[in-house]
Amino acid sequence: MSSLHAHTLDVIKLNIALPNGHRLLRNVSLTLEPGEVRALVGESGAGKSMIGKSVLGILPPNVAITEGEILLEGQHLNMMTPPTRRKIVAQSAALIPQDPLTALNPVRKIGPQIIDPLVRIQGWNAREAETRALDLLDRVHIRDPKRVMQSYPHELSGGMRQRVLIAAAFAPSPRLIVADEPTTALDVTVQKQILRLIRELQQETGTAVLFVTHDMGVVAKISQKVTVLFAGKVMEDAPTREVFTNPQHPYTRALIAATPSYADLERPFSPVPASLIADLHAQIAQDDLLYRGGRI
Amino acid sequence: MLLKTVLTRLATTVVTLFGVAVVVFTLVRVAPGNPIAMMLPPGATEEDIANLTRLYGFDKSLPEQFVIWLGGVLQGDFGTSITLRQPVMELVLGRLPATLELSFMALVIAVALGGTIAVIGARKRGTGTEVGLDLTNGAVLSVPDFLWGLIFVLLFGVLWPVLSISGRVDPRLDIDFTTNFYVIEGLLRGRLDVVGSTLSHMLMPAMSLALPLAAMIAQLLKQSLKEVLHLDYTTLARVRGFSETAVILREALRNAALPTLTLIGVQFTFLIGGTVIVERIFAYEGLGNMAIDAVINRDLPLIQGIVILFAALFIVINLLVDLSYTLLNPRLRHG
Repeated sequence: MSSLHAHTLDVIKLNIALPNGHRLLRNVSLTLEPGEVRALVGESGAGKSMIGKSVLGILPPNVAITEGEILLEGQHLNMMTPPTRRKIVAQSAALIPQDPLTALNPVRKIGPQIIDPLVRIQGWNAREAETRALDLLDRVHIRDPKRVMQSYPHELSGGMRQRVLIAAAFAPSPRLIVADEPTTALDVTVQKQILRLIRELQQETGTAVLFVTHDMGVVAKISQKVTVLFAGKVMEDAPTREVFTNPQHPYTRALIAATPSYADLERPFSPVPASLIADLHAQIAQDDLLYRGGRI
Repeated sequence: MLLKTVLTRLATTVVTLFGVAVVVFTLVRVAPGNPIAMMLPPGATEEDIANLTRLYGFDKSLPEQFVIWLGGVLQGDFGTSITLRQPVMELVLGRLPATLELSFMALVIAVALGGTIAVIGARKRGTGTEVGLDLTNGAVLSVPDFLWGLIFVLLFGVLWPVLSISGRVDPRLDIDFTTNFYVIEGLLRGRLDVVGSTLSHMLMPAMSLALPLAAMIAQLLKQSLKEVLHLDYTTLARVRGFSETAVILREALRNAALPTLTLIGVQFTFLIGGTVIVERIFAYEGLGNMAIDAVINRDLPLIQGIVILFAALFIVINLLVDLSYTLLNPRLRHG
């Protein structure tokens, strides 16, 4: 099926909502080609994480997909039974989580946490899985992989844990990785290393990455395409270079202006103007009225 | 580190046991009721009473009696039972295995039952099944252990008599064991008839003791599981393809177990306390049953022996619970 379909991921007119009808995503569409990195950018509450969660099937229990399609390597995820969906997602997608301090099980050693999914879900034999885990820990520049495999999470630093999680994400050779603000919880110095590492592995393996971030600086460094979100609605979808050189949407321009530049400390930067935000909210309220009337 | 913990605990244990000894020794003597009066037939002469009082040392002052008794205890002599005329130590140690086996079986049932219900409740969280389980738990919890005992006697002893309602083992069985651990020694010797008979006698009293604890475990463990199931590492396990049940059993259970372990530690000592009445209901030949007889008969040395043994048991259980934390939580192993 995937051979007929060139895209790794298609999200088509996705709407998700709370039980009271409040929409968290509003007709969001995006595609991801194999080997492509797409940044999802927006402020907190813009719904950027929700897109990744919808794809991976880990939406919070009170949030539901009300409309739209998600195709992972051409397969309609939201038409599957939960067990089938879980299997398909585990085979082709992985997650690099936001907070490395809470994303590893504190009572289990690192080794099994990487190896278990390979053996029990992907069906590898134990030797292959261990070799793979050691190899990946080496590739994320962990100095003594054998010792780290025997360690508990609390014995590692935050940066080390994020490396472990990156290794675990790449271990089953997924076609898509959702990176959900993977550097937000880290020290600035570690952030750069982690970012470089994800790009390195992504380029080596040709994995497509959906990179959720609120940091335009990160967007510039890692992605080829950008989706700018505001209040669950796509403001702009364009190649990264164009977004920075010739942003089309006023909100995108405001976001870029609001990003401090380390290279040019003299350049003034300003928060997104309140008047712009008010305008956008007004537009969205109108959209919602139309949506409820069934016209969109 | 471990050794230091154990040694410190042993030192405090000695102090605690001494305190228990002082309190129980004083209480049973201050409380109304005269053991000598219980021993003599009506119409005994003043002289008989005086002789017997002197024989048991009750004519001496309380501190003097205590020092004499403590001196014996330090040499392993807890005195002689007034009613049974046997060394207290021998009597108490003879009954201890029965109570230990009963309590342990109750604990195993409580953990297995409560744990299973907790896992099912967490798996079905937010559904009618969870509500149903919560209601059942509440109902089970509100019935005390001795009442469960009576309910079981009525159900499986009278209405549908499938289980034995009294004693510890079928008296027709020929048991020439060296210890009174019928289940354990029976298993070791391959005497499955003894094991089977003991277990079938133990089932109802053990269930009576286990049900309230099982309900508590179910409720607390389910709550802890639900909290852990929000955490990132469980989400990550779902993304990696593990089913919800696998996530609960493999990722969440060990992390959620700590509060429940504390609860079990505390409640298990209450459970052993509960054996006193439940053993009585089922005429089960354990320490608790003996304790009631000892109190009725004002058998002071026996009461003291039993209470001290119970106290020692509680302390050992608490120590074991504390040590098991470090097994479950690797972060507690260093420092």
